[in-house]
Amino acid sequence: MASVVVSFELNGRPAEVLARPMTTLQSVLRNQLGFTATKEGCRQGGCGSCTVLVDGEPMPSCLLPIEDVAGRRVTTLEGITPIDGLSPVQQAFLDGNGFQCGYCTPGMEMLATALLERNPSPGRDEIVEALGGNICRCTGYQPIVDAIEAAAGAASTGER
Amino acid sequence: MSDRLTVVGRSVQRSDGVGHVTGRTRFAADHTFPGMLHLKMVRSPVHHALIRGVDLSEAEHVPGFVRALTWRDVPHNVYTILGLIGVEPEEEFVLAQDRVRYRGEPIVAILAETEAAALEAVSKVRLDLEELPAVFDVEEALAPGAPIVTHWGSNAFMFEGHPFRRVRFGDVEAGFAQADEIVEAVYNSSPIEQAPMEPTGCIAVPEAGGRFTVYTNTQALYFSLDNTAIILQVPGKRLHFVGGTVGGGFGGKVDVIVEPIATLAAMKTDRPVRYVFSRSEEMQVSSTRSAWRIRIRDGVMRDGRIVARKVTSYADSGAYSRQTPYALTKHAANAAGPYAIPNVWIDAYCVFTNRTPSSAMRGFGVTMASFALEVQMDRIAERVGLDPWTVRFVNAYRNGDVKPHRKVVEDATLIETMQAAADLVGHELTDEQRAMTSAPRDGGAGGGGGTAGREVAGGRGGAAGREGAVGSGSVGTAEGGR
Amino acid sequence: MTVASYFLPRSPAEAVEILAARGPSLMVMSGGTVAMPLVNEGISLPEEVMGLRFAGLDRLEVVDGGLEIGATVTLTRLLRQRTVRMLSDAARSTASWTVRNLATVGGNLFTPPPGGDVATALLALDASVTLTGPAGSRTVPLADFFTGFMTTVLRDDELVTSIRVPAVEGGTAYLKFGRKQANTPSVVTVAVRVVRDGGAVTDARIALGAAGPHPILADGARTALVGSRLDDDAIGAAADAAARESEPFSDGIASEWYRRRMVRLFVRRALEQVASAGAGEGR
Repeated sequence: MASVVVSFELNGRPAEVLARPMTTLQSVLRNQLGFTATKEGCRQGGCGSCTVLVDGEPMPSCLLPIEDVAGRRVTTLEGITPIDGLSPVQQAFLDGNGFQCGYCTPGMEMLATALLERNPSPGRDEIVEALGGNICRCTGYQPIVDAIEAAAGAASTGER
Repeated sequence: MSDRLTVVGRSVQRSDGVGHVTGRTRFAADHTFPGMLHLKMVRSPVHHALIRGVDLSEAEHVPGFVRALTWRDVPHNVYTILGLIGVEPEEEFVLAQDRVRYRGEPIVAILAETEAAALEAVSKVRLDLEELPAVFDVEEALAPGAPIVTHWGSNAFMFEGHPFRRVRFGDVEAGFAQADEIVEAVYNSSPIEQAPMEPTGCIAVPEAGGRFTVYTNTQALYFSLDNTAIILQVPGKRLHFVGGTVGGGFGGKVDVIVEPIATLAAMKTDRPVRYVFSRSEEMQVSSTRSAWRIRIRDGVMRDGRIVARKVTSYADSGAYSRQTPYALTKHAANAAGPYAIPNVWIDAYCVFTNRTPSSAMRGFGVTMASFALEVQMDRIAERVGLDPWTVRFVNAYRNGDVKPHRKVVEDATLIETMQAAADLVGHELTDEQRAMTSAPRDGGAGGGGGTAGREVAGGRGGAAGREGAVGSGSVGTAEGGR
Repeated sequence: MTVASYFLPRSPAEAVEILAARGPSLMVMSGGTVAMPLVNEGISLPEEVMGLRFAGLDRLEVVDGGLEIGATVTLTRLLRQRTVRMLSDAARSTASWTVRNLATVGGNLFTPPPGGDVATALLALDASVTLTGPAGSRTVPLADFFTGFMTTVLRDDELVTSIRVPAVEGGTAYLKFGRKQANTPSVVTVAVRVVRDGGAVTDARIALGAAGPHPILADGARTALVGSRLDDDAIGAAADAAARESEPFSDGIASEWYRRRMVRLFVRRALEQVASAGAGEGR
């Protein structure tokens, strides 16, 4: 059970970890590197709370062996939070209360960030479809969809 | 007043908002500690069985295995969550002893250096179980000859010597005799899992001086602390519980399930111990909203007045009581609905079965009663040929009325709420309905029970109320405890 | 055993070689969306695992108007292709965006019911599967690939390397019915393809998912349609036949009783969709 060394890019900086074979990216982020914005809701790919970006694509970090991200670009919520203030998506979630308990929020924001990257002005239907894999048990989703709409609107009108 | 309000009517930023949107909020499982052990549970694969033996020999050889905990390691292994408010008897096993009563019941706690090693060791524990007949239906559980779930020999929780929570008000049989119509129905509901996004869990950390810090996502911090102190037989001052950040609870995190055993494990190993449910554990093992069966028999006049209501309710508590006796007490106080009914009879059973223990979930005890009662109100309307609004206005309670459990109504808003709802949906009310208010009825300040009814039965603890303890005409008990 | 070795071959040949060397106890994982949860929960405790993500099996090509789909082509890529509309629909109905970024077409053939929604579509499209082992490759029709619940004709030393979908002949419809609108297991999945000549049905495929131990073809429904003009009577007869010959099961999603009724309803709806689309060749 020899451990393996895996190098990848994490939030724009080089990262190198020593891990047991097939340790999940989620576990490496949370337990080894202390990047705990990435949550653990189900570890089955079913809830979206551990969503990160790998080479810009949203993926459930609980289903990715760390070996599979070797040499790739990983982005977590910590990586999209500016040194000062908040990203447009984060600001919109804060302003619109797109959260209650806050547990699904990092995954929602990563998904929203990826969506707006692909499509800066998605329709409400597109937002809802994109969020299909991210579960929230508190809000009933409307404030979350509203926040993403607001973030898209703010970006298109050049605010923030 | 309004010029002095600084928050009402305004949108304010939540104090935890920035933490939530940046992911910096620390939930219980976001903490890690050097040398932290992982706790995974060996659980019953069957609904009901005698435990003949537990063989740990293979599990102990898994690399990374540290130790196992069985019931012998738990100082006070049999407890009851509501024991803190006087509910008896102690009946839930922290770790199963000679019998398992539900599928998923914890039997052995495994501690290992890694989660993977803990899971592997769990898979290697051999259980020798003799399966017993199981019961999953509340009325079957109360029938003669049913498999007995509890260790004291009855499948009904005892409320002050009665196998159900009782409310007696007026003469219900006389009411039925006088009624134009009898409307009877039975209402069933299934268990519901709260399914919070954050699974139940905690991390217990040994500190200097024999103290333990427990990072937990419980919804009931002091309940958890006090029960842990009882189960571990240590003074509360040795326990420091850190909570307040809950990734969704909805009642699913008020039971004391992970903290006692994680803290015990930290004591036995002098190392931090993490015990967090997997999603399957959250779904299979954590307590649900109870399944209910509610039978309602109403005596109704042609003008829509309900003159007698008899409710027989059964809450499926599962294998242990947890918070369900409290739910039944709340239920009994609300089972006649927000209506003024002169004759009421309520028997509300808390029943043990071999299902997953049920407990709190948003309005538990009352939610299913409201569902049943409001469907029943529509059925009454259909039977007597009135519209459902009229039936509710005719029966609506008002301030000064006495509820069947002898509580004088002081905060009635049903009439005003229905008036507002009618406006919202564009429903036309009659002039009479429009003119109604919840103000006390003419000719009496207090209603039938008089001022005596002001005394709510019961004193301290969940074991409240005595027969005849309340105002005139009472022959039963009423809501007690909290 | 906690995982001792995780192999990530860089070519199909290397993957076949590793499989031959390690033997059948090697867990083969494509996108990981089925296998990883089992490992995470300790339900599967494999000692050795091979991941196919970088094994060079991810080519997606248009061939003779149809598709040649590498086994590890993700469902996201399948969703975005424009050649076979039904496969795009099937991919969209499966899991979520994030999971589709990992899940693969080859892996979907091994997803236990009530999953396998893409496999159901592939069955209606007369797909065939290329299996590769040390002795070379062979191709079998997908209809002959499944042999039972979680069993296939795949030999211990073989891997699914690609899926071939011929140019679509006839009109198609794909309906997945779940208990939610997205990211949900199937109550039933129905994929139909109907070939007509001057209004008369000359051939048909009625594929059912979550209605048996694996995606199945309803041959009785086909018989009821061939020779008909796809009118109400024929559609009704085909829906009845499909319900009869389906082998649904009860689970946490739906009961056998309910699934059988939903097979009838959704076969009817799918066929009505084809009928109302007119000749609808090659959607």
